[in-house]
Amino acid sequence: MFASIVSYGLAVGAVYALIGITYNVMFSASRVFSFTAGMLGMLGGVLGALFIAKMGLPAIVGLVLVLACGAVIGLVTELLTVRPVLKSIEQHLYVLSTLAFALMVQQLTAVEWGTEAQPFPRLIPIGPGWLDQQFWLPMLACAVTIVGLELLYRKTLIGRAFLAIAEDSYAARALGLPETQLRMASFALAGVIGTLAGFTGAEMLLAFFGNQSILNFYGFVPVALGGMGSNRGAVVGGLALGLFQQAANFLVGGIFAAVAVFAVFIIVLLLRPEGLAGASTARRV
Amino acid sequence: MSITRRKVLAGSAVGAASLASGLAAPAIAANEPIKIGYLPALTGPSSSTGIGINRGTVLAVDEINAGGGIDGRKIELIVRDTQSDPTKAVNAVAELAQRQKVAIVWGPLNSGEALAATPLIARDKVPMLHPCWVDELIDVKKYPMAFRIAPTNTQVGGGANYYVVDVLKLKKVAVISDTTGYGTASVNTYVPMLKAKGAEVVYENHVDAANPDLKPELLRMQSAGAQAIMPWSVNAGFLSRILNTRGAMGWDVPVVGQTTLGSGQTKALLEKPENWNKVYSNNFRQVCFADGKLPERAQEFVERLKKAKIEMGDTLLWWIALGWDGAKMMGDTLKAAGPKADDIVAHWNKTKGWPGVYGTVTWTPEQHNGFPDSEVVMCEVNSLKDGAFNLAPGYAA
Repeated sequence: MFASIVSYGLAVGAVYALIGITYNVMFSASRVFSFTAGMLGMLGGVLGALFIAKMGLPAIVGLVLVLACGAVIGLVTELLTVRPVLKSIEQHLYVLSTLAFALMVQQLTAVEWGTEAQPFPRLIPIGPGWLDQQFWLPMLACAVTIVGLELLYRKTLIGRAFLAIAEDSYAARALGLPETQLRMASFALAGVIGTLAGFTGAEMLLAFFGNQSILNFYGFVPVALGGMGSNRGAVVGGLALGLFQQAANFLVGGIFAAVAVFAVFIIVLLLRPEGLAGASTARRV
Repeated sequence: MSITRRKVLAGSAVGAASLASGLAAPAIAANEPIKIGYLPALTGPSSSTGIGINRGTVLAVDEINAGGGIDGRKIELIVRDTQSDPTKAVNAVAELAQRQKVAIVWGPLNSGEALAATPLIARDKVPMLHPCWVDELIDVKKYPMAFRIAPTNTQVGGGANYYVVDVLKLKKVAVISDTTGYGTASVNTYVPMLKAKGAEVVYENHVDAANPDLKPELLRMQSAGAQAIMPWSVNAGFLSRILNTRGAMGWDVPVVGQTTLGSGQTKALLEKPENWNKVYSNNFRQVCFADGKLPERAQEFVERLKKAKIEMGDTLLWWIALGWDGAKMMGDTLKAAGPKADDIVAHWNKTKGWPGVYGTVTWTPEQHNGFPDSEVVMCEVNSLKDGAFNLAPGYAA
């Protein structure tokens, strides 16, 4: 029982954490909470199965193509759903525009790919058990992503520019930073991370259009738990969510497992509205 | 332009002439085709059933027309693809009943569309024949002209319960469903039926179909002493996870349930082909292999399908047979009772033991569910050959 809680919990948690990071990367660059994160996760699995299982491409080529598609969809998201509503961001129109775009893509996937879950190929033939790729691949992807993002943000000039935009976009623009290009790059990066989450978690979650809503929601939980914009918080929140969800599956089971997850989520937010890792920001008046 | 008395008279004469030609219409209609409104879902997410049923329906209509039709009149299928969308089915009903004036409506073929369309077909007083399983679709008071040529959901669940309790003689049963309306309604209906048969339901739960790990649920079933698992879901992902987890646990328990257990989508998601062993899904006695042979009517039907070069490899025999039965039933009825709605309904109300390929149909004025309980059986899901399955072990031949 313990082994199953840890292996499944950490693997699913890593997928949730990556979707949480996808939300964060888009949010940091634009202050827009884009509901396309779950869509990117869903597409990672569906496109991966399409390229590798249906079209017979080598796994590595399939992965590169999936990530490239993710980047393109990220750019399209920025152009179509974020840029037009940035001027009136306080009206929260982005909720509608990003959600509508995500639903359109989901329906298109349902029509073209089908409404039945389809298998995702086993890429590395080790297992079953602990060594099965469905457990360690999402965790590896999560580790690589968080380390990569830390290096990007702290060691490179472009990473610092991302941080500057996230901190204060007006000041960054005044310093001559190309805000629009950086925002587009952030959405492309989020597209890559979101599809990577879906690709690495697809053997467990299957290539299924319905994964979009699950990932949208469960990917949001680590962001809320870990604090908006905090990638480390998202990783901790995501892994904790996965472990708690899997423990609840064992302890209470059935639909009560989901109820237990929501109950804890609400209690945490009541006690710490800024999230477990987030710091409450002082507002100058 | 002024209206003169002469113009009014001339207009009246034209009107009278056109009325007279209208009155003469029945003489011409005697040679016109008899229209049957047909509402399959040939595209969209629920279309695989529709495509299979369509092959049988088209074959039967072709056979009837090639044999001289109905007293010299051909049957014309007015096909409206519902695209698996209840709204489209509803729009098509209005057109078929009011503009096309069809004699009978065959379909819709999916329950979701039939739930939306049935009240409208009843309102337009058109005889309706459908193969959908949802119990509420037949109600002789609300829909006195609607008849079902397939089993109900209650019969389907009853068939599975009968197999577990009376054929396999297992008394401790685990019943699981996903959280959809179909899943929860099935469990709520079938569990009391199981208990009434003397079975002990040792595990009963609804689980989110998206849950990637069902091991906790199967461990609970195992520790409760379950001798059979009965999953009620049309979600291939959910069902395959049950079968894969059972395989990984090395648990040799039979899984008995709905037809999706035996679908190609479920098969595609299995980690090992052996995970499909000891899995039994609903099927129908008349179209199942018993000791390697199909029943006589089905065997003869398969020969005809082969002769007509009708593809069977990508669909199921029972779908094609059901389509053929529907069209053949309508043809036989029109031949015996003519195309008037009341005569058709009166004829159907007296139908007793009509020998279809898919099933034997009996209707009475009080009962428009025509399929016999005894023909709802279980089959071995891993035995698919030419679109048909082997009868599950334990049934008397």
